[in-house]
Amino acid sequence: MSFLSVQALRKRFGPVEAVREVSFAAEAGEILVLVGPSGCGKTTTLRLLAGFDRPDCGRVLVGGRDITPLPPERRGIGFVFQEYALFPHLSVEGNVAFGLRGLARAERRERVGELLAMLGIAELAPRFPHELSAGQQQRVALARALAPRPRLLLLDEPFSALDAALRRDLRAELRNFLKGLGLTAVHVTHDREEALALADVLAVMRAGRVEQVGPPEEVYNRPRTPFVAAFLGRANLWPGRVLAILNGRAEVEVAGQVLCAEAAGTAPGARGVVFFRPEWAEVGPGPFVAHVQTALFLGDHWELHASCQGLPVVLSAPCAPCAGVVPFAVTRALWLSGPEG
Amino acid sequence: MQAAVLRGGAACAGLGALVPVAYLVLRALEGGEGLVQLLQPRHLTLLGNTLALVGTVLVADTALALPAAWLLGRSELARRRGLVALVAAPVVIPGYIVALALLGLGGDYGLLARLVGWRLPRPQGLWGATLCLTLYTYPYVFLSARAALLGLDPSLEEAARSLGLSPWGVARRVVLPQLLPALRAAWLVVGLYVLGDFGAVSLLRYETYSYAVYLRYAGALDRTGAAALSLPLLGLAALGWAASRAGGGRGVGYRAGSGASRPAPRARLGWARPLALGYLALLVGLGVGLPLGTLFLWLLQDPQAVGGRALAHGLGGTAVAAGGAALLALALAFPLAHRATRGHGWGTAVLVSLPHLGHALPPFVVGLGWAFLGLRALPFLYGRLVLLLLALALYFVPLAFGPLRAAWAQLSPRLEEAARSLGHGPLGAAVRSALPGLVRGAVAGGALVFLRAATELPLTFLLSPLGFSTLATRTFAAASEALFAQAAPFALALLALALPSLVLLLRMERET
Amino acid sequence: MPFLRLVLVLVLGLGALAGAQELVVYCARSRALVEPLILRFQEETGLRVHVRYGTQAELVALLLEEGARSPADVFWGYEASLATLARRGLLQELPAEFRERVAPAYRVGDERWVPTSIRVRVLAYAPARVTPAELPASVLELGDPRYRGRVGWAPPNAGFQTFLTGLRLLVGEEGAQAWVEALRQNQAQPYPNNIALLQALAAGEIDFALTNHYYLYRFRAADPAFPVEQILFAPGDPGNLLLASGAGIVRTARNPVAAQAFLAFLLGEAGQTFFTHDLFEFPAVEDVSPHPALAPLAEELAARRPAVDLGDLWDLPGTLELLRRAGVL
Repeated sequence: MSFLSVQALRKRFGPVEAVREVSFAAEAGEILVLVGPSGCGKTTTLRLLAGFDRPDCGRVLVGGRDITPLPPERRGIGFVFQEYALFPHLSVEGNVAFGLRGLARAERRERVGELLAMLGIAELAPRFPHELSAGQQQRVALARALAPRPRLLLLDEPFSALDAALRRDLRAELRNFLKGLGLTAVHVTHDREEALALADVLAVMRAGRVEQVGPPEEVYNRPRTPFVAAFLGRANLWPGRVLAILNGRAEVEVAGQVLCAEAAGTAPGARGVVFFRPEWAEVGPGPFVAHVQTALFLGDHWELHASCQGLPVVLSAPCAPCAGVVPFAVTRALWLSGPEG
Repeated sequence: MQAAVLRGGAACAGLGALVPVAYLVLRALEGGEGLVQLLQPRHLTLLGNTLALVGTVLVADTALALPAAWLLGRSELARRRGLVALVAAPVVIPGYIVALALLGLGGDYGLLARLVGWRLPRPQGLWGATLCLTLYTYPYVFLSARAALLGLDPSLEEAARSLGLSPWGVARRVVLPQLLPALRAAWLVVGLYVLGDFGAVSLLRYETYSYAVYLRYAGALDRTGAAALSLPLLGLAALGWAASRAGGGRGVGYRAGSGASRPAPRARLGWARPLALGYLALLVGLGVGLPLGTLFLWLLQDPQAVGGRALAHGLGGTAVAAGGAALLALALAFPLAHRATRGHGWGTAVLVSLPHLGHALPPFVVGLGWAFLGLRALPFLYGRLVLLLLALALYFVPLAFGPLRAAWAQLSPRLEEAARSLGHGPLGAAVRSALPGLVRGAVAGGALVFLRAATELPLTFLLSPLGFSTLATRTFAAASEALFAQAAPFALALLALALPSLVLLLRMERET
Repeated sequence: MPFLRLVLVLVLGLGALAGAQELVVYCARSRALVEPLILRFQEETGLRVHVRYGTQAELVALLLEEGARSPADVFWGYEASLATLARRGLLQELPAEFRERVAPAYRVGDERWVPTSIRVRVLAYAPARVTPAELPASVLELGDPRYRGRVGWAPPNAGFQTFLTGLRLLVGEEGAQAWVEALRQNQAQPYPNNIALLQALAAGEIDFALTNHYYLYRFRAADPAFPVEQILFAPGDPGNLLLASGAGIVRTARNPVAAQAFLAFLLGEAGQTFFTHDLFEFPAVEDVSPHPALAPLAEELAARRPAVDLGDLWDLPGTLELLRRAGVL
């Protein structure tokens, strides 16, 4: 039994089905990242875990215990809000100490000092939230949520108010920090890079459902749906038809050529999509010809936007293309069956 | 140049309110005898009575208004705007009408005795005065608290829940501290009102300090004595103002985050719904139903008691006096509110506090101050409508100031700076950048001044041009001669005129 | 009074010659009461009347404050404020015809104002709780223990204060002080005004009240069964003090002729009939008879009133001082 187990959650707000069917699990000490476009129901799922909203059906188990009927204050779950929600009438110290009840004054001070020091903001203790920068507020919010030693930490897009550089720095810092504490966490974001970097377990959501759960590498490299494939990175998705199945690999007719793609559970004659990332194609001798429309220099490589037999394609090349027409080969491809979304 | 206009406007609003105060001190100093009389034990008793009444009314107002504010701000009833208007409606009912209605309910000859045979004691003394004043002042606390509740960021409460606080703990440790600035502002308004009110209070046979000052003036034609006796009221007003600003409110009112906040979820009432509705019905029944019912009973005694001509005259007078005062008060409060939010230093603090001091004085003393000034220094204004409007506007500036200041405070100075970087002068920048955002505050403040000016009596009596009358003065004139059938149509017309501005006031709050 | 009519005709002629004339009246009487009469005067004479309504204190203060700049022609108020203004030299002497128009019994020693209607202080009581034997013969008996807590009075009320001024004239300063003290000790219940007193009587809070006579008729007009009665005390008792509403012409009046016309109108048949029929006051002149409802009281008025000249009731400050000393104001 996993430490955190979310089972078939559903939530409607009036006519809107915010969460249709959400299940996932995380082991103790794991960071689970819920990622998806805005409006996919990830924040609602998080609020259901925290107990701010009640699910219409489904259960949430923490450490094997069903916490679904409990009010938020009895769940022992920490929450870091998107806008931090620091109490404006309390100082940083007051905010962090807010959840520390039943402790002696001295103990409380000690715990607050310890947390602030851990997060490198000890000198901010007497300040008020409006006197802090966004990054400082974020750390205070984290310290406040951690103070009562929660069993589970939920983070709702905690980096969204920060600039890109700071976000990248804090990402590493946060992962390091959470790992150091051995804390189980559920982190919500719409930023795929952040999701991939932070997650031990990645859950990709779409329209109120979890489309795929798994380790980030696996979800990135073996997406099960075109949506997951496209959401997590550059994706070439070409419609095609299965000609034959050989040793779990499919021969697919696509763009006027025959391509060998990894496939599971399909049959000859099936229609679907061939998926490959730009880095899975090699510019050079090969069966395909790309007509390059734009070439972008991205520092470590070039990105080519081209078309092949009328299908759009994105390729990755080590150097600038010398001609408008380049041949290429696809070294790895996945067969994704079902209608393309 | 433009900066000078803003500063000059603020100075006018601040110093203008000083005029009656200056008169007061001048008169008080004329005869040293007046100050000695303050030492009389009776005056100390009365001062004690006044303070006790301020205390009980503030407690009762808050106890009555907070549940209503929560029900109509945060529960499933919040969408019922009609109910909100009804609960807030007692602000437009003159206090002495509420007092007369309450008095007419009990006793051997009371409405209840004659209709159902119940002989309740008539309200009197401290509890009677508290009941009566509470019934028409609780809307100030209600409106203020509800607006603050609607503006609260719900994630603060969720954060507190996730940190282990029960709903009650959240209310006490998060919501209440957040409401405090709004409550303080409302308490100041109500406190000053109670300090200066003596009409309704005297009918309920509770002797307050203001009533003694009034009697000193009204009975003895004793201006010096009345002026000297007013000085402690001035002190109390200053104390109240200071108290409303002091205390650990650092940081309150700032929004920590930058994004637009989610509207708060509305609580489901479930089995408590009938209880909640019953509570609101009781509030509306006592605050609106009772006085309104009394007025209709009076009207039925002689529906033809008042001619259309007198009614039209009073209606026109009220529209001119209250409407003009509202516009003028806004024009004065605008630069003052600007200084208060953008200015620094104690000079600004003093300037901003002056109108509140003026507002704390009994209005009849203020009126006499203006009459005196008009005669001695501004003879071209004396007996003209302008003077009445000016006096009303300066007296009610604090009411317009509150919402305007709140509006200014929510506008980022960056907006103004942006407008200036785009080539507008300070005044233009202030107006262009802020005006759209301030419209809500301005309409709310203007409506509030209109409501109060429409029911105002002593200033209107003293400073009206010859032949001028308002619905309030006509209602009072008839009611104070026991001509209740004649008072009713004027009072009902006053309510009909005031109600739209109340509705306007409510529309100006945040969309929910 | 043919002569008075002559004055009126003369004034009207002058008015017509001078074109549209204007008259400014400072009126301490309630607008709700007297506006119909003023409108009628306007219609009959064609004069434009501007009225400033206010309490008598406000208007007196205003007149004092305004001094020679005052726009007022006529001051229309009550005995105490008129006597005060007269003594301060703010009113001008009136032609003898005005004084002669007033019934001899109500004439004022002062030549600067005239009574325009008469009121009387009475004892109102609740017949349901008071036996005839309990009715006191004198206002001075109300300090008696059997009236303990049962009497209502209105120390802030101008009528009551004038009564006390009269009491001081009749029984002396010490006697009046002793009476106030006795009532206070006897737990006389204070109310802010006469209307509140009558309502308290009806409500059952008190059994007796010292008040002016005309309010009861207004309550009876609304409800004929209003459970309150009123009587005069024994003949000559201070409790039966006469009061007056009256008018004078301001010394700096810009329009003294129109002002005289206004006073003549108040003392004329229309004015006097209005006061008694609409306001339940007694006429100040002989040739208009009181409202029928007032008849029983009117018959006894002359015999029962104490011997006090209306013009002598000016010492309001002394009375207030007395009330303050006693701690009731």
